[in-house]
Amino acid sequence: MKNQSNIAFILDDKIVTIDFSEEKNLKPTTSVLEYIRLLPTKKGVKEGCGQGDCGACTIVLGELNNENDISYKAVNSCLLLLPMIHGKQLITIENLATKKDNNIILHPVQQAVVDTNSSQCGYCTPGMVMSLFALFKNYKNPSREIIEDALSGNLCRCTGYQPLIETAQNSCKGQKDTFEKNKNQTINLLKKINQKTKTISIHTEDVHYFRSTNLFDTLQIRKENPDAILLSGGTDSSHKKISEKHKPLKIIDISSIDDIQYFTEDNNNFYIGNGLNLEKLRTFAASKLPVLENILKVFGSLQIRNLATIGGNIGGASPIGDLIPVLFALKAKIKLQSNSGKRITEIKDFIKSYRKTDIKTDEIIESIIIPKSDKNIIKSYKISKRKNLDISTLSGAFNILLDDKSFVKEIILAFGGMAEITKRASKTEDFLLKKKWERRNIYKAVEILKNEFEPISDARSNKEFRRIATGNLLIKFWSETNE
Amino acid sequence: MNKVQDNNAIKHVTGESVYVNDIGVNDRLLYGKIVYSRLPHAIIKSYDLSKARSLQGVHTVLCSKDITGKNQMGPVVQDEPCLAEREVNFAGQAIFLIAAENEETAKKAEDLIEIEFEELESITDLKTAIQKDNLLFEPQKIETGNVKNALKNSKHHLSGNFFTGAQEHWYLETQSCLVIPGEGKEIKIFSSTQHPSETQSIVAGVLGVNKNEVEVEVRRLGGAFGGKETQGNHYAAWSALLANATDSPVKIHLSRNDDQLTTGKRHPFLSNYIVGFDDNGIINALDVEMNCDAGSSNDLTYAILARALFHIDNSYFIPNLKVIGKAYKTNLPSNTAFRGFGGPQGMAVIENIIDSIARYLQLDATEIRYRNFYQINKNNITHYGQKIENNRLFKIYDEIIESSNYFERRKQITEFNSKNEFFKKGIALTPVKFGISFTTSFLNQAGALVHIYKDGTVQVNHGGIEMGQGLNTKILGIASDEFGINSDDIKVTSTNTSKVPNTSATAASSGSDLNGMAVKNAIDKLKKRLVEIAYKSIQKKSKENKISKKDIIFKNDYVFDKNFNDIKISFKELINTSYLNQISLSATGFYSTPGIHFDKKKAKGKPFYYFAFGMSVSEVQIDTLTGAHKILRTDILHDAGNPLNEEIDIGQIEGGFIQGVGWCTTEEIKWDKNGKLLTFSPDTYKIPLITDIPKDFRVKLLKDAPNINVIKKSKAVGEPPFMHCFSVWLAIKDAISSVGDHKIEPELSIPATNEKIVMAVEKVKEDL
Repeated sequence: MKNQSNIAFILDDKIVTIDFSEEKNLKPTTSVLEYIRLLPTKKGVKEGCGQGDCGACTIVLGELNNENDISYKAVNSCLLLLPMIHGKQLITIENLATKKDNNIILHPVQQAVVDTNSSQCGYCTPGMVMSLFALFKNYKNPSREIIEDALSGNLCRCTGYQPLIETAQNSCKGQKDTFEKNKNQTINLLKKINQKTKTISIHTEDVHYFRSTNLFDTLQIRKENPDAILLSGGTDSSHKKISEKHKPLKIIDISSIDDIQYFTEDNNNFYIGNGLNLEKLRTFAASKLPVLENILKVFGSLQIRNLATIGGNIGGASPIGDLIPVLFALKAKIKLQSNSGKRITEIKDFIKSYRKTDIKTDEIIESIIIPKSDKNIIKSYKISKRKNLDISTLSGAFNILLDDKSFVKEIILAFGGMAEITKRASKTEDFLLKKKWERRNIYKAVEILKNEFEPISDARSNKEFRRIATGNLLIKFWSETNE
Repeated sequence: MNKVQDNNAIKHVTGESVYVNDIGVNDRLLYGKIVYSRLPHAIIKSYDLSKARSLQGVHTVLCSKDITGKNQMGPVVQDEPCLAEREVNFAGQAIFLIAAENEETAKKAEDLIEIEFEELESITDLKTAIQKDNLLFEPQKIETGNVKNALKNSKHHLSGNFFTGAQEHWYLETQSCLVIPGEGKEIKIFSSTQHPSETQSIVAGVLGVNKNEVEVEVRRLGGAFGGKETQGNHYAAWSALLANATDSPVKIHLSRNDDQLTTGKRHPFLSNYIVGFDDNGIINALDVEMNCDAGSSNDLTYAILARALFHIDNSYFIPNLKVIGKAYKTNLPSNTAFRGFGGPQGMAVIENIIDSIARYLQLDATEIRYRNFYQINKNNITHYGQKIENNRLFKIYDEIIESSNYFERRKQITEFNSKNEFFKKGIALTPVKFGISFTTSFLNQAGALVHIYKDGTVQVNHGGIEMGQGLNTKILGIASDEFGINSDDIKVTSTNTSKVPNTSATAASSGSDLNGMAVKNAIDKLKKRLVEIAYKSIQKKSKENKISKKDIIFKNDYVFDKNFNDIKISFKELINTSYLNQISLSATGFYSTPGIHFDKKKAKGKPFYYFAFGMSVSEVQIDTLTGAHKILRTDILHDAGNPLNEEIDIGQIEGGFIQGVGWCTTEEIKWDKNGKLLTFSPDTYKIPLITDIPKDFRVKLLKDAPNINVIKKSKAVGEPPFMHCFSVWLAIKDAISSVGDHKIEPELSIPATNEKIVMAVEKVKEDL
């Protein structure tokens, strides 16, 4: 295996190469935000929270896609580790406006922000503009829903957001901008970097970082480094948490493995590659798996979903991991791969305990397999303090199969946020099985459900609320299936 | 008025705007770190800094003994040590300061500090503080009429208690300060502060130098909302001590979590009340006790509590009213100024009371509000004795009732609710009457310094701070209008204590009123000098016409007699001529608000120069099963006088309202029973997002509403719109109330989180 210890990306229309052995201020765990702010000319990119919750540090990544074109996505630069932008175009706020005869020509989204008075204190503005820029590149005449989604990862404390909707409507008209004009040149530069890319292996004083574009090599690295942490989007095991981990630290970055970024189906199943980011998954799920889309559209923000992966959400095994209850309801299976073979396990068996899974130290989650079931009614619900960009207080995902007389033939009631892992309400399920799906039985089941879990009180809510809400979600499910 | 574009906007969108953390400094810049207490209340038994001090890359570690001046940074009362000495009084209190070559080294140094505490009993919630009667100062009281008798004579009574929660400022730019030591005792402070003069004073105090050695400069703030009125001082004091000790530039820039953990918040209030009213819902008597959590020190609590007491009436005439305000000391970071400054907490109480009266009498709350409004010619004296002049409540009410189609929508909502079991809608109209002026009367003063350069360009300096509210754009508009020149020829500079001294904080919505007048005053002085020269020049050009000095005006870059507007000289030419005639082209300006006073002993006077008015109508839908709410529509009609800048004022109204909506809905601050903040990061503390704003959001300014005797007949607009949020909160309450067919009073405090909504629905169902 030939390795390289440097990374390369495009910044300010030029290829920038970083050799970590020569840069004493940079490590593989340096965030893209930290890197940018070390550059004397890039003070426009702001840190508002450093944890992916405010979007002030939003930058846009340009990536070569399969159509020999560039896709643009907004991401939180505070969460991204510097090596993760290898082979990409890094676009910052300073790159949008152009100069002609000493006059500044603003990008259409910048001009619209000025014209609609969408900026007050200005601190969130660079991030907001970058999110608008990504929207501009991806949509022509976006709907209000798409605009809201594009800006759902950007906090502003001054404006109340109202003018930003007009900003987006006024500016995203599908015009050609300078990025479009320079596209061929950028594509050539990106190809130049990516054609040469080998497995990246960076070793600094206390951090070791590995990254490969194919699964086989990655599995080999995994086998040789059983103590390494697996990182894909880096939105949960964020930059800050990683920096505080015990040193020396080994990281295997699986975000660029091409083989595991897919969504396919056959007559029986859907197959979701582990490395598929949640935003791509959302677009597939919209038509194929609406129950999954329902949760994905309130999962983090667009910036987060552009990085986070389904495998990361499962592998993290968080008690409130938003997707896990849905995967319970969907009876998902996990396909694990190592260099000595593969195995398939059910999601309920894969999640072992608080943030622990059944994964072996030489394995990687290859994909998630979701059986198709036409007759079942499957729904998912998330309860959170704020609708978007909030971790759920609790979530529920339910699956029932009713016979033609409305009696329950099959039932899954899975809850997140009610125990140390996602759990099914088995007593309530037992009670409802073979009973008629009607109000009287549902309200009886609610009484059982309220006592089925021992939830905790925390920053998000008191346990009493969690108890009542589980019952309410069952009622909600019933009311929606009963319409 | 000349319309000028936001003079920051282009710099904001290109990322050019400079905030404290963006200022370029030489490579001697050190990273400043505050080592703070994790315990709410403890004795510092011993500590050892030697290991931390000897760590490679650490330039200094300071404790209270190293303070060269006075160990004190209380803004009003001297009760805040700069660094803790023997005792810590809240989790987040600074004990030591570190200056190191980088963040990593500073963190390592912190880990090497050895410190031993003896934990003491602490009070970390308002209820316990009330039980223990841990008062911070003597209760405040305002009383009018005879409450005892009036209550006795009222036909109906309601009583209860009511809670409003704390709120994080969540300015996007965390607390920041950069200090660069100069020659001798000189020191330059780049601070993210709303109050540079006080920052100067506190820094001078802790360093033990004269104020004239300390220069504080503020370009702009990345949001403040009151959170940098006094708290900015702290970071300046700490950075200055470190810079002084190391003779190097030092910057402190807080991480978000440290900012949330260590800074003060909006004061939580718990109030008890008894109200007496008649069959029509007309309030005859109100007896209220308001209790607030001050945190560990005075800070601005006295004035905040006073404003809460002043605003207990909101827009309503209450002939017999007694309000007592008590501030309690707790072991929490000192709560501080936050947009509205106690006003929202006071107004929420009366709005909640009116809402319960309506439910009790089975009438629409809007009707009860209307019946209790201050009248025009009678029933127009507040409980503190100020007459409500230029009352615009009725004008606004008539307009918004019609434009929002309130009564028709009320019917539609009733219809919707009868057909839906789990989704419920609600609607509410709430008014705002907000007093404008610092209630500490002497603070109502401002200064300016205006220079005209030989090329005819102008530099305007004033004591106010640009923090996103558009103050500098408004000032630019005023200067452009007064000089009659294009705004491109005018520059509004950074705020600097060396240019304009002894300023008040940019707070109390007063920024443009006070500084705008001060700038105008300076320009008036300059124009008076210029007119002398202009007169001679113009008269020279036109021998046949009699030019009159008093008719000379400045307009469209020219100066002329308004009766002979074709005989003119350009402003630039006039400036050049004036210079050659040895005329001073620089002037200071000053303004103080006339006629305001308040007698603290009698609790009577005229504390406010005028009132700002407005009303809002909001309609919401709640999911009674999950507690999720959405705002379907909000209409706001707000009185900004003759707006100085319509776009900016609309922006202030929209933004203030949404910030209020956050306080009323998703922004919940929780501590555990040991006083540890649970919601210490944006992970758990949720301010509104774009998806939380009304789906249909209509904000209008009241037309033809000049505000006489204020700059350009405008009105202050910073704080008042915040309180339009009550229409959302009470619409949610209305929706909950519909579950019990409006027969049962829901229990809904602020914030009305999803959890509180569900619990309130459950309670209503139980009581049915």
